[in-house]
Amino acid sequence: MMEKLRSSAMVKRLFSSFAVVAVLCVMTGPPGSTATPMAGITGSFTAPASFFGLFRGQRWMVFFVIALVFFGVWTLWLKRGTQIKGAVSKTMAQPKEVLERRPVRIGVYAVFLLIALVLPHVVTDPFWQDAMVEQILVFVLLALGLNVVVGFAGLLDLGFVAFYAIGAYATAWVTGALPLPPPFGIHLDSFAAIPVAIILAMVSGVILGTPTLRLRGDYLAIVTLGFGEIIFIFANNLTGITGGAAGTNAIPHYHFHISSLNVIWGLGPVPYYYLTLAFVIVFLIIFSLLNHSRIGRSWTAIREDEVAAESVGINPLKYKVMAFAIGAASAGFAGSLTASQITYVSPSIFTVQFSINILVLVIFGGMGSITGVVVGAIIIQTISMFLIHTPPAGFQTQDLYIYIGALLMVMMIFRPSGLIPSKRRKREIRLSEAGEGHMDEVLTGDTP
Amino acid sequence: MSGFLHYFTSHFSTLRLEFWNLLVGGFANGFIYAMVAIGYTLVYGVLRLINFAHSEIFMTGGFAAYFVMKVFVPTTSTPSGMNSVLLIALGVVVGGVVGAVMATVVERVAYRPLRRRNAPKLAYLISAIGASYFIYNMAGKEFGRYNTAMPQPYINHPVFTIFGAPVEMYYIIIFVVGVLMLVILDRLVATTKLGRSIRAVAQDAETASLMGVNIDRTIAVTFILGGIMGGAAGFLFALNFGVANTMGFTPALKAFTAAVLGGIGNLRGAVLGGILLGLVESFSVAFLPGEYVDVTAFAVLVLVLLIRPTGILGERLGRSA
Amino acid sequence: MSDDTIFDVQNVTLRFGGVVSLNDVSLHQNRGEILAVIGPNGAGKTSLFNSLTGVYQPQEGTITFKGRDGKSMEIIGRKPHRVSNAGVARTFQASRMFSAMTTFENVKIGAEDHHGIGAIGAMLRGPATRRGEHESDERTIELLDFVGLRERANVISSSLSYGDRRRLEIARGLATDPQVLLLDEPAAGTNPAEKIQLTSLIRRVRDEMGVSILLIEHDMKLIMALAERLYVLNFGSVIATGTPDEIRSNPAVVDAYLGTSADAAKGA
Repeated sequence: MMEKLRSSAMVKRLFSSFAVVAVLCVMTGPPGSTATPMAGITGSFTAPASFFGLFRGQRWMVFFVIALVFFGVWTLWLKRGTQIKGAVSKTMAQPKEVLERRPVRIGVYAVFLLIALVLPHVVTDPFWQDAMVEQILVFVLLALGLNVVVGFAGLLDLGFVAFYAIGAYATAWVTGALPLPPPFGIHLDSFAAIPVAIILAMVSGVILGTPTLRLRGDYLAIVTLGFGEIIFIFANNLTGITGGAAGTNAIPHYHFHISSLNVIWGLGPVPYYYLTLAFVIVFLIIFSLLNHSRIGRSWTAIREDEVAAESVGINPLKYKVMAFAIGAASAGFAGSLTASQITYVSPSIFTVQFSINILVLVIFGGMGSITGVVVGAIIIQTISMFLIHTPPAGFQTQDLYIYIGALLMVMMIFRPSGLIPSKRRKREIRLSEAGEGHMDEVLTGDTP
Repeated sequence: MSGFLHYFTSHFSTLRLEFWNLLVGGFANGFIYAMVAIGYTLVYGVLRLINFAHSEIFMTGGFAAYFVMKVFVPTTSTPSGMNSVLLIALGVVVGGVVGAVMATVVERVAYRPLRRRNAPKLAYLISAIGASYFIYNMAGKEFGRYNTAMPQPYINHPVFTIFGAPVEMYYIIIFVVGVLMLVILDRLVATTKLGRSIRAVAQDAETASLMGVNIDRTIAVTFILGGIMGGAAGFLFALNFGVANTMGFTPALKAFTAAVLGGIGNLRGAVLGGILLGLVESFSVAFLPGEYVDVTAFAVLVLVLLIRPTGILGERLGRSA
Repeated sequence: MSDDTIFDVQNVTLRFGGVVSLNDVSLHQNRGEILAVIGPNGAGKTSLFNSLTGVYQPQEGTITFKGRDGKSMEIIGRKPHRVSNAGVARTFQASRMFSAMTTFENVKIGAEDHHGIGAIGAMLRGPATRRGEHESDERTIELLDFVGLRERANVISSSLSYGDRRRLEIARGLATDPQVLLLDEPAAGTNPAEKIQLTSLIRRVRDEMGVSILLIEHDMKLIMALAERLYVLNFGSVIATGTPDEIRSNPAVVDAYLGTSADAAKGA
């Protein structure tokens, strides 16, 4: 009887449901400290909570009910899941087919563009206006860039923040905001700094990439991680060059003088919003064109079978370095933009967590899918900003990463292709799971 | 040019003066790296992948030992003699056990579901990164995001000197615990049935399962062994550096470097790599300002991967030597 | 190296750690020939292919290839993509396709020119780019027709049968406009009907496209029907060379590989 009970799938499910929900309970509960380590955990269960304001009790009661519901839904899914999935895809088949038609897609994009153009006039809360530029649009830009590296070329880059940093510091340097004087003593204005930032970031990408992109995928990930750390250490300690830990806050805003036209950004976030939006659209178009070109096809070939790609004349290193450099360029640009907007740069911005944050946007949205990445970035950043702006009880800003970590695990287990997957990637993942193809070789370095 | 020469000669004389100090310190750090590197190398052997979440196994082991020390180490007087020995042993055991538990949880939650669906390797890496982020930020939430010193279960004093360099009690503890655990592990993998199954799975998982080896259980045991070493190392590290929820990141990165340096998948290589890296890092202190020491480990990593990616002793999957 | 020689392999030795995979191997292929390399499993045939295409780097010896422009090129030390660009195409023992791509896309990748970066040009889709794409599209259709895969052009390549996969690899290899096509066990896993089609296809590749063929095979019937000359490998060394008839009656070969003369006569 005990054996039957222990091995029963239902018991396992019940146990798992309670375990998962217990973790959720602690995740959303109050914090603790080293002096009071159990405070957070016990508090998560004993703190007062109520069922929709009606019945007053303790948190564990609420979560007990949630666990039972979770178990119920899970059991239901096991029994009826395939049926439900079948019914859903049948009803979704028609709308999906319509959505894929060209004129409809263009219409949808136009609607989104309209919403984006009107947004700053609808949302007037200053926090949100700042956030829309600094946290959402810039991150969309970064996600688009990382998508080229991870999504198109299939390279796991964990040090993407390094190129963002290089772009920002390059901008500070040539505009004269750093202790180190700009080259030839020429102080450029912020706009002119953009190409410098992009070029420096790209060059760094090529320098880092050329020796390391031959390595197998997981080693590459660690090396890029280390590189990000190195940039941080240098930025933090070369006080004479970078201003050290304090950084600098003397970076000028963008401004524009053409005869009588005199535009200065920085009087409010709205002008920056439109500038950034314009650049996002430009990059979006460029990356989409790239994806559908011969180069995009070469990336796909390398991803799906590097050895076969080589045998038809594709030089994998060249295309990988190209992807790396393009990703670095967009990160450098984003860094330059941010530096001009917030007028300061300091090493504290350049953490490994930042790189992982961008990675989550790409993975969640759907790696390789431009639409997916944009939507994913908007969703996650908006939710993050929401949590930071109006934190629920006991929520500390850093707690965000608990959810990000959990999201990564959940995505990999249940939907590795992402929210709005690229059809091709989804197919590749499905084939890889079935044992077809040689996609893993990029990561494991197994040769024929 | 003369400035460069001057830099070198002045630092070389520093090196000469401090040589034995740096040697002993480097050795001690190296042992800690070696113990953590074992975790990486073992898991790599059976899964062919880097366990990104290993840094948190190190951290949770350290934290668990910290809480136990807080309870058992009297606040009024520092223990000595037999009490110290018992407390240290307790710290190592607790660190190891919690490390093993955490490793098992990570394997069950982050890796096993992916193995079940035969996910592409990229998924494992990303899942592990997610697990790592989840764990250390949860620890930060529950225990605070700052560094806390570990209550000392012993009185740290120089036990003897080698050529004028004092060998502190702390180093002795690391050597004794480290050597003990490494030797036990080595014998375990080389002689027991368990060790044989680990080596079999590392060499050829499919054939091993055809021969009756339970793959799931072997992988679980591999994680446990790595977790014990990593968690105990966390305790030893924290004795000197204290605990913090982010304490795992840098040491683990260095330990990974050590594992690659010695030859990934090679147990003795992990030990060799750890000690070597500890020494190189220690000696670099004579040449570089303190804040740049971490750069040394990274530079070693890049150099090894570019010049000899199979490491010093070479990749040796399925063999412990 | 005579004008007629397309591959000149001289004293090539390939070692992996302690194992000698190719031992002082010398062979040559003439332009327009259908040459076969046979031998038991593990004899070093695929290692030979990998050496000919730059995947492996033999420690000793030279491999000279005469490209389209008549210039000789040393293969050892070159990266595989350069060898491919010089005019050497290959297929793989276990077909390696871009499994999530369609048949058409697979072949088109081969037809596209991968020289130079041209990112800007590729993106802006100027007239030169569009012309290039049009040309590679046309060439792809031609090749699909040639190998008989036109109806399966839009099928995802992972759902192709073994026989179709072989033909796809041949089409993709031909798309790179090679001088020589290396076929690694093209008949493996195919049924007798497919084998017959494959035989005639391979012959057509040489006859109609002027591409020399170098093939590895185990199927003796196929070899005897196609090959004009053979090399026999055993334990990494060449033990015999000659026409199919000469090889069939060579006692050393019969001993090492083909079995008794009675079996060999049946062409088994």
